[in-house]
This record gives sequence, structure tokens and C-alpha cells, in this order.
Amino acid sequence: MNTQDKVTINKLSTGVPGLDEIVGGGLPEFSFNIIAGAPGSGKTTLAHQFVFANASPERPALYFTVLGESAIKMLRYQQQYTFFDPAKLPDSIRFINLSQVVLEKDLGAVLEEITKEVEKANPAVVVVDSFRTMVRKPGSDMELQSFIQRLALFLASWQATTFLIGEYAEDELRDNPIFTVADGLFWLRQTTERNSIVRKLQVIKLRGQDSVPGLHTFRITDAGVQAFSRTFGLTARKRNPPGGRRLCFGIPDLDKMLDGGVPEGDSILVAGSSGTGKSVLATQFVAEGISKGEPAIIAVFEERPEAYALRATNLGLDLETPQKDGKLTILYLRPLDLSVDETMQSILDAVTKIGAKRLVIDSLAGFEMALSPGFRADFRESLYRMIFALTGIGVTILSTVEVDESFTEFPFSTYSISFLCDDIIRMRYVSIDGQLRKIMVVIKMRGGNHAKEIREYEITSKGVVILGRALTNFQGLITGIPVHLDRSDLKEEPAQKPGIESKS
Amino acid sequence: MMTSLKMRDLARCLIAYEAVASKTSEPVESAILRVYGKLRQSLGVFAGVASFQSLAFRAFTQAKSEAPGLWAVQVDANGSLQGLGEPKPEQLEFEPQLGSGKDQASEGGVILIARLLGLLDMFLGEALTFSLLRNAWPGATFDDRVAENGRKS
Repeated sequence: MNTQDKVTINKLSTGVPGLDEIVGGGLPEFSFNIIAGAPGSGKTTLAHQFVFANASPERPALYFTVLGESAIKMLRYQQQYTFFDPAKLPDSIRFINLSQVVLEKDLGAVLEEITKEVEKANPAVVVVDSFRTMVRKPGSDMELQSFIQRLALFLASWQATTFLIGEYAEDELRDNPIFTVADGLFWLRQTTERNSIVRKLQVIKLRGQDSVPGLHTFRITDAGVQAFSRTFGLTARKRNPPGGRRLCFGIPDLDKMLDGGVPEGDSILVAGSSGTGKSVLATQFVAEGISKGEPAIIAVFEERPEAYALRATNLGLDLETPQKDGKLTILYLRPLDLSVDETMQSILDAVTKIGAKRLVIDSLAGFEMALSPGFRADFRESLYRMIFALTGIGVTILSTVEVDESFTEFPFSTYSISFLCDDIIRMRYVSIDGQLRKIMVVIKMRGGNHAKEIREYEITSKGVVILGRALTNFQGLITGIPVHLDRSDLKEEPAQKPGIESKS
Repeated sequence: MMTSLKMRDLARCLIAYEAVASKTSEPVESAILRVYGKLRQSLGVFAGVASFQSLAFRAFTQAKSEAPGLWAVQVDANGSLQGLGEPKPEQLEFEPQLGSGKDQASEGGVILIARLLGLLDMFLGEALTFSLLRNAWPGATFDDRVAENGRKS
């Protein structure tokens, strides 16, 4: 059969930011769906968002309420969400209460009542909230199954996209014949992890299209449900492979060490202990990009954007003007119960908004702290997904990471994430001639050659400045306590006049 | 707490609308009962009979304290209203014309409707309350609800 002979299934927007991507572009029109989950998991809100996004006076939505939450109270709370448009009631969205029929009659009468209303209104969307409260007595499963079977047949014929909302516990997922009838099965979960609440959504089943598997984080805000795809919404986005350019730091000696700069689309890790100038280097990377017309994002977790920008000003780097010009966004991501997916969504939104080419994450330790405890366990895997997703659309990422300074080891990161990074720049303190000085070395560049030398640098009023020639006359520099091999060069090449150290 | 003036005006507006719609001279109580009946019908479909009955009973309890004319009124389990306009026995004895008793009953009816609308306004907000009213009175306009008896020009 030709592709053109196949029936086209229209995809309806779910009205839930992020969910269209998860379900493969939208919900299949005329599908029969079940939204399951424990009380308070967001089932009704999700259904309302779909209804408000799709109902019209010509093809309205019928929202049947049964036992349980009173319709008046439900609307009292639901209208607090920004998606709730009271003007859509009652022409586009009609609420019909069936509790009397349920209490006084049987499911056959309920079906009859729904049938009557559907025939009258010709709706595009039908919701039954909550269908499970209709049958709670023992041995009534068959009756409910039969009811749902008949309802599904009827509503599909009437070209309505349907949602049944039901309270289900986790262990009821298996072998439930009711779920076999459904075209789509959405499971909403809410779990407590230490002191945080984590909400997750799973598309257990969706006939006819390719949904993103796995558990997706979602949040309920005053805008309603917002879902965060595990693939960060990038599966549907056109990939933008890097073009082979080199991106400079604007620090000539460092750019030379990097053979002209870092390859575009790389992930760079700048590792060092506190005060070694990681943030300064990151800021210079961003400022250099902006000066070359490459918009940038800085995601900060440990200090506020104003303080970050002020510190840059002290280094002679202007971050205020590009922010005003829409060339730079400093994202402050501090809440302590974020998921990586939410953080990513914020970053992605900012990247999309200003067309950012460079991204600084300052720092990974702050990022990890901002996450809900449950997500910290998966931090490495989450970073992998995030870096893969962002570099895939051509963004060059520079992450800073604080490492404990040791005088016996030379660690690159406490997260064992160096394999995720294309390039690693290590900064550290060394003890030379009774002074605590700073050295920098390019550990790795996946994309090509780089200098192997160890260079001394200072943080001056102009930012990171690399001093003199390579430190070749020492042994054990990376231990932090080097041995001076030959002191004769001291007279030949006096140390370059050091700049004034500025507070970073 | 007294019924708000705004809700009384809205109640009077709906009652006047119904009185005009009947095109026959009838006691005010009939128009009040029709307004109540339409609210009951509309809210019953939307929220269920039990929800309507709860709201109506609450409105009635509030209204009774400020309207002596509601002394004989009852809200049934199905939400219907009984006894509106029934004269007190002493009024039958001393005021055969029922003049002041009638006035009290109709004023009580206005207060009851106003209380019911007030509860809806409090629970659902003005926008949804007027959506419900527009549904129950499709020919009426509520933008300028205190004037022109609510009729569309």
C-alpha cells in the first residue's frame, strides 16, 4: 500500500507544554484514552488543558463529572490556571453531572445519558471524570469493562476524542482488561523523595504513533501541567551539526594552546579548585562570543545574575549591554527541587529565544545542588542526555566544575564525567618559591591537537592572563608541589611582571 | 451579612425578565419560582442535583434571617422550592387582603435568589456565574443587567 493510500490520523495538540513532543507530535484524533493515577496526580488538570485547547462552539467538549469532586469546586480551583478561559463556557465546553444517574440507576443508564448528550452536541472531545467511581462494588469489573467497551465503540463512531479519568494504584496496571480497550494510556505518578515531591508521566500505550518512552518529569504550576520530555524536545527538532569552526576565548595564549580555539559544538569542562578562575574564564568565553556576534546563555546556580554581571564588570567585561540587546541571557536556576529536564527546558527556551551559540553552566556542583534529591542519583546520566541534546543543535557548552585540590592527585571532576566532555582545561594551584601560583593545562581535545605545556596564569583586572613561557623547568607541577630542576633560568628570564590579582 | 445590592439587582433583573416573558399578569412568586427553577435546571445539569440542593439550602438559610416572608419555604431533597408566598395564619386572620404578606414573600424570594447568585459568584466567580446565567437565559443580556430588565434590545 502506498503511503498516500494510508489513512492520515490528525494529531491534536494536548494543550500541555512539552506533552505533544512526548506523544509524538500530538494526540491522535478520535482516540480513546485513559488517564490514570493516584488522587492529586494532575489527571483532571491535564484533561482540562486538552479540553480548553481543542473545544470550539462548532465542535464542543462535553465534560461528564460523576461521583467524587463536585463540579462547582472543581471549576473553582481549575479556573485559577491561566489556560482556563471562562468565555469558553458553556458554548465550547459543557459540564454535565451524572452522579444522580449513577446513584439511582445502572451503567446502562449512564451510557444512555452520555449517548443522548453526545448525539445532541456532536462534541469533538468527551471526558468522563472519574469513570472509576461509577463502579466500586465487588465483582463489578465485568460490568465496567462492558460499559467501557460500548462507550469506546460509540464515541469512536461519533468522531470524538475521549478521555476517561480514573484513580488507579501502581499495582493495578498489570492484567487490567480495561486498559486493552484504550488507544492511549497515560499514567501520572507523584512520589516523595526525601523532602521533595517528584511528578512523573508515562505514556504506557499510544496506538498508531511513536511516543517517547520512559518516565517524563512534569510540574503543575499556575499555567497547569507542563511536561518535560526525556529527550528535551529535541527529537523533533532539526539537528544542527557544528560547522567545524573554532571558538576562541579571547585569551591569545590559551587560544593558541587550543590550536585556535575549541571546536564548535564541543562540550568543554573547566575544572579547578575554588578561586582558580573558572568563572572568569567562562565569562571571557561568553564575552568573546558576544563580541563575535554569537549570542550566549549563562546558567548560574550559586550567585544571582546581577552579582555575576557585576563581577564581570570588574574584569572589564560588559555583560549588561548584551543582556539589554538580547544577546545574552543569564539564567538563575536555584530552586532545590528541579529536575534536570526542567533545567534543560529553561536553558533550551533561552537558547531558542536568542539563538545562543555558547552556553556556560556555572557550575555543575551548583546544578546538582539545585536538583531534587531523587534526580541527583541520575546526575551523570542526565548530564549525558543534556550535553548530547544541546551539542547536537550546534551549541558549544562550557561547564565549570570545582574539584578538591589534592597534592597527590590531579582529578578532573568529582562526577566522573570527563568522558562526556570533548575538551578539558584544568586549572590548579601550585606552590613555587614560597608563593601559591596558578597553572593551567589542556588535558584533552577530542577534536584535534592541543598544546601539552603547562602554563602559569594570573587573574588580573583584564581577566585570565597567561604568563611567560611554558613552565618546563619543573618536575611534578601537577602535584602542586613541583621541584625546580634548574634555577639558572631565573636570571635569563625574569618572571613576567605579574598583574594585580583581582578578587574573583 | 446582608445580600449585596449587586446580587439583589441581578435577582430582580432575572425575575423581571421572567415576568415579562410570561406575557400574562401573574403573581410575582410565579416569576421567582421560574427563575429558581431555571437555576435549578441549569445548575443541576452542570453540578448535579445534590450540589444544587446543598447550595439552595445554604442560600435559603442565609435568606431566612433577613426575610420573614420565607417562613413557610422549604428546600426539598431534590432542590425544589415549596411554600413560597404562603401567608402566615395570623395574616389570614387579620389581613385578608394579604397585601403586606405578599410583599414580604416576594421580597423574600428576591433575597433567596440573590443569595443563591451570591454563592455562585463566591464559588465560581463572576465570569462563570454569568456563563451559567447566559445558558439558562439565552435571550437575555447581562452586560447592563440592572437596566432594561435584562432584555436584549
